[in-house]
Amino acid sequence: MSAQASVAGRDTSRPLPFAAAARGVFDLTLEGMLWSRRSALMAVLLGLPVVLSLLYRVSLHARMPRLTGYDLYGVLVAIYYVRNVVPLAALFYATSLIADEVEGKTLTYLLTRPVRRSSILAGKLAAYLATTLSLTLPAVVASFFVLTTAEGSAGVGARVPDLLRDLGTIALALVVYGALFTLLGVLLRRPMIPGLLFLFVWELAAHLPGNMPRLTITAYLRSLVSHRPAQEGLAALFERTLPAGESILTLVALSLALLAAAVAVFSSREYVMEQ
Amino acid sequence: MTRSRVVVSVAAALVALGLAAGLGVLVLSPARAAVGPLPAEALALPADARFLMGVDVKRLVASPLYARFAKGPGGMRPDAFKVLEERTGIDPERDVRELIVAGGLGGRNEGVALVLGDFDQYQIGRAIETGKKGATWKKLGGTTVYVFSEGKGTPSALSFLDGHGIVLGSAAGVESTVESRAEGRAALKGNAVLVDLLSGVKPGSTFWMVGDQSLLANMPTSIPGPGSSAGSSANITLPKLTSLTVTGDLDPVLSVDVVGAATDAAAASNLADVVRGFVALAALQASQKPELKALQTAISVATDQSRVRLTARFPHDLIEALARPKAPSPAPPEPAPDPSRLR
Repeated sequence: MSAQASVAGRDTSRPLPFAAAARGVFDLTLEGMLWSRRSALMAVLLGLPVVLSLLYRVSLHARMPRLTGYDLYGVLVAIYYVRNVVPLAALFYATSLIADEVEGKTLTYLLTRPVRRSSILAGKLAAYLATTLSLTLPAVVASFFVLTTAEGSAGVGARVPDLLRDLGTIALALVVYGALFTLLGVLLRRPMIPGLLFLFVWELAAHLPGNMPRLTITAYLRSLVSHRPAQEGLAALFERTLPAGESILTLVALSLALLAAAVAVFSSREYVMEQ
Repeated sequence: MTRSRVVVSVAAALVALGLAAGLGVLVLSPARAAVGPLPAEALALPADARFLMGVDVKRLVASPLYARFAKGPGGMRPDAFKVLEERTGIDPERDVRELIVAGGLGGRNEGVALVLGDFDQYQIGRAIETGKKGATWKKLGGTTVYVFSEGKGTPSALSFLDGHGIVLGSAAGVESTVESRAEGRAALKGNAVLVDLLSGVKPGSTFWMVGDQSLLANMPTSIPGPGSSAGSSANITLPKLTSLTVTGDLDPVLSVDVVGAATDAAAASNLADVVRGFVALAALQASQKPELKALQTAISVATDQSRVRLTARFPHDLIEALARPKAPSPAPPEPAPDPSRLR
């Protein structure tokens, strides 16, 4: 049988089909990603609001009459999740998708398999999304029900559309930040510091006047959270809510552009493993 | 199935379960989605309102500023609280969670207030029925509507919405609200202008108000300029506003944001200049009341295309100083005795 011959019905001279290859990479990456120290830390960070919500129900609700359960839920979603922890989770996971393989010198084993590079990246991105969504969304749902029922169950029904919107916003945040940090991960050898600078320096432009907020990701995401807490000081003075349609379109377009760039860079770049 | 896939599946199932529960509550509950700061129950208010205003009563009464100024004679306790207390006997500070007012119904000077909180409906109903306020009552939309002073001018009415709401105000407005609620109609969504303005209200505000063009139609179109008499050409013409949005909080400082939409950018700029002029004039009175000087730094006015935004931040101490009655000016010193008379 020649090298061109098919093995188990597959033509070995051609790479594996995109979907099958991506699925294989997804399974492999998910197993390594979900059961890691990084995920243990992220599970604590992303699940912390559930503990805080229970604490509020048990103890703080009676002591803090000015802070309603729904107000606290708004703070958790808009400030804790969308502004801080979700971008941080995206940074930790997405920058390491390829960088970890380079660091561990295991990328060679992946690249020498008969799979397209784009399917490797797609499988890894899918594993990143499955991991982060699995850690975040249940915690948001649990916090919502614990907090919005603190004053009785009468108003829960009216708040459910906010929950749907929040879940969509958080998922979109994971996609867009994931795309950005994946691009950084395939472009740079040490992507963590530029990523942190982007999150905690550049993104502050969302509080500046004029069109500066449009140059940040967080301004679009913030505009999608309808029950965010009132701002104070400079943030209150310049806070602008961008139209929801424009925000979604911009974030989706940005995600697609960043993913396309990441695939293009990863497909053409030559990775030299240090000995 | 690998253990990782089990984790992902369990997480997806938890989210799906939560969403199913939430959607179930949403479908089964008569309350529909809220709009901006407006609770779902308030969507039954009449659509022909000129303005809507809301107060988060729990936040209001918990504020140190409210505790300082609202109590006692001549306090700033809202009139709506007094009316509510007189009509129903409930204690607004204790029992009310939120207050929503729809005013200017049908272009008339009528309004409806929706009070949300925890009430003993039976006791309130008994108090009204046995009281001496000449109330009559009738059944409408599965609930009792109490009508006061029927036949004497504009009748007012009161009714209960489910277990946590009281609607009171003009009889026509109350009946319209009760009917909308009974039919599950979100009547207020028919007022596209107000609904659009509501979406711009800052979430979590202690108090807010939105008004459309018709509310502002009665505003004066000009004010006398310095040194001018009424009707003279030196009057300052005020640009027309098409909508007004007010939001505010009491803590940690009293903050008020007023956004007015003018017809165009030039009108907005003109209006901003007028407001800045007033603030400067007030600051000029600082010699009589030094606290007024702080107004100039507390208030800022900015324009954004055709919108004018006034932002005011008053520290509690400044409000106290402004509210304090002016201290009597010291008596003029006794004229020095004429030395020639001493002799």
